[in-house]
Amino acid sequence: MDFEYTAEQEQFREELRTWLEENLPSGWTEGERDVPEDQDEREQFLRDWQARLYEGGWAGLHWPSEYGGRDASLIEQTVYREETAKYRTPQQVNAIGINFVGPTLMEEGTDEQKERFLSEMLNGEEVWCQGYSEPGAGSDIASLTTSAERDGDEFRINGQKIWTSYAHYSDWCFLVTRTDDSGVKHEGITTILVDMDQEGVSVSPIHQASDEDGFNQMYFDDAVAPVENVVGEVGQGWDVVMTLSSFEHGTTRIFSIEQRFEDILEYCEEHTRGGQPLVQDPIVRQELADLDSRIQAAKVSHLRNVSTQMETGMPGPEGSMDLVVADELANDLENFAVNVLGPEAALWEDGPEGGDWARDYLQTYGSWIAAGTGDIQRNIIGERVLGMPKDDKSQTSHREES
Amino acid sequence: MRAKLTDEQERIQETAKDFLEANGGIEFARREMEGEDVVDEVWAEISDLDYPAVTVPFDHGGLGEGMVYLSALLEATGRYAMPGPLPETAAVGAPLIAELGDEDQKDEYLPAVADGDVRLSLGGYNDRNEALPAAVGADGEGTEDGSGTVSGTETLVPSAGPVDGGVVAARTRRTGGHDGGTLRPGDPTAAGVSVNALDSLDRTRPLYDLELDLTVPAERVLGPVHGGGDALRRAADRFIIASCAMLVGAADRAVDMSAEYTSERTQYGQPIGKFQAVKHRTADMWIDMQSARSLTYYAAWAVDADDPDATRAVSAAKSYAADRLHRAFGDDMWNHGGTGFTWDHDAHIYLKQAKAWRNFLGTPEEHRDRLIEARLSE
Repeated sequence: MDFEYTAEQEQFREELRTWLEENLPSGWTEGERDVPEDQDEREQFLRDWQARLYEGGWAGLHWPSEYGGRDASLIEQTVYREETAKYRTPQQVNAIGINFVGPTLMEEGTDEQKERFLSEMLNGEEVWCQGYSEPGAGSDIASLTTSAERDGDEFRINGQKIWTSYAHYSDWCFLVTRTDDSGVKHEGITTILVDMDQEGVSVSPIHQASDEDGFNQMYFDDAVAPVENVVGEVGQGWDVVMTLSSFEHGTTRIFSIEQRFEDILEYCEEHTRGGQPLVQDPIVRQELADLDSRIQAAKVSHLRNVSTQMETGMPGPEGSMDLVVADELANDLENFAVNVLGPEAALWEDGPEGGDWARDYLQTYGSWIAAGTGDIQRNIIGERVLGMPKDDKSQTSHREES
Repeated sequence: MRAKLTDEQERIQETAKDFLEANGGIEFARREMEGEDVVDEVWAEISDLDYPAVTVPFDHGGLGEGMVYLSALLEATGRYAMPGPLPETAAVGAPLIAELGDEDQKDEYLPAVADGDVRLSLGGYNDRNEALPAAVGADGEGTEDGSGTVSGTETLVPSAGPVDGGVVAARTRRTGGHDGGTLRPGDPTAAGVSVNALDSLDRTRPLYDLELDLTVPAERVLGPVHGGGDALRRAADRFIIASCAMLVGAADRAVDMSAEYTSERTQYGQPIGKFQAVKHRTADMWIDMQSARSLTYYAAWAVDADDPDATRAVSAAKSYAADRLHRAFGDDMWNHGGTGFTWDHDAHIYLKQAKAWRNFLGTPEEHRDRLIEARLSE
């Protein structure tokens, strides 16, 4: 056990800090972190930030140097997550491309696909989304019905996707389709790279409970993609989906949660109720301490997973724990934050930080569902970590019930 | 940054597990529970394996290891609730003597501990309902040269029956905090000491009363007179880490037992582990066990490294493990249905251990308070 970073890793941190201080949008490090409200301006702002990260050599931190990346170790990636959480850097608009689609193409893609897509992905010129969930296929993603039919040198795509993050900004979609519905549902799936800029593709935003439009519905109406855009083998897309999913399991947002905790602790030190600082209230102290110890536990568990992954290569199903623990911790933390406000908890945009506290609290209900619900993560732990018997899962649910 | 046990630490876990499983796993604990005294037998075996020597400094015949190494070992012994004062000796007694003892005291105790000839414990409480440090120690009188008297009762002393030496904390100066305590090594079989066993919730680790009426010469004082408080606090922190490590090992086995049983037990025509109510409860046991393990190893590292975060880390581990692992043992009982509530199923052994440890050396509530205090003084 050693939780100290080496001099080399600390130097990496210093380099990153210096770069962030010099390159974050003006006012950002002083706490004026304004992201434009207007959709178009917001998109431009995020694309500019993505481009700046690329120019600084930080966008492809974990990518191999042969694809223009930095070859950063898992520990350096951890340092990167810690620091970008501390500076609350803007989101990466191409996070899906760089973190999930890119690494999947490196594993499963053809040389031509790597040549065509990876550099444009890394420099942020082409933003990506992931076409997964459908109205009838959420947790049971393999029951998807969006069809891709071979037509000469092309596939014709018809169907509907939903809950797609970043689709409204995206140039390309990593789309999971059904090319054969005659067998069991995990067969006959094909992953295709689809150009979003075509007549057969339309995107409409979904109005969320948090009053934001962060994700979308996508409609495919005779959209086309050339045969050479198929990733992996036709009909063998489930393997590609699993490859991508293993990259999702390697991520964590525990460092942002820790940062948020520090804000809330500071609030409790600075604000009084009944003449006494909130942090002197015995119940507030107990709750803060419990959150603190859970954050510490989640952080160390993540570092243990990373240390194991350094030796084994790929993240294991243990990553499900990082996901579900962080989602539920964030939910408890944001609930605590709103509760501790007192009667002011009843306010929306007139509440703290223009409504950000209330929005953050609501968003944690969405995060629990995204990337596999907490229930699904517990199934994965039960079945794949503890070896418990699998649920009876329908093998044919992509067909219409008769 | 390497959040992982070393190969050697993993190896000692494996050999400890092998040794216990070759002896029937939980059998030592069950025999102790039924009133047999198995500690001599256990101690002879683990002394051959050098376990009592782990934290004894290298110069005095030990392995000179710290809390991470000891936690790795105790996780393996805790898996089968191994009786005997290994946490008391290796996390409390030996490091206290190594830290505070003069050369004569170190030469007297430490090589004997390393060889397995002396087992140690700690008498800290003078009151069964009061918290530390207010409850520190028997009544003591001390002169500046160190001689003095100790009288009264030390209660809730772990393993005082089967130990050969103990460190007794006496209150020699009235202050509210840890300051004013004096530590003295003592022999429970000496004149002026009587030992009474208490019927304890956790019969694998029984507690005792020590009745003391002693005149203590100066050479029997450990460290400065009135100045044992800080060392006692650090010793308590090490004992907390040791207890957490044993409970984590026990919880690891509870998860294994639950996963195995619910995969085999059939009701309504299917293994009950297929029902999500059962599967998710077991997944949560695993999550809580892994989280407690993370906190325990982090605290062990922080104490070994003398990191400024050590106080916060120890209190986080204690408050988390005390509540969540207790629940995991209860969940293991429930996963086993009626069988889970029988004497023959091991869940109650661990459940009682977790409850007996819950408030020892600070309740989870006190530790949460201490954690926030440490945070605010950063």
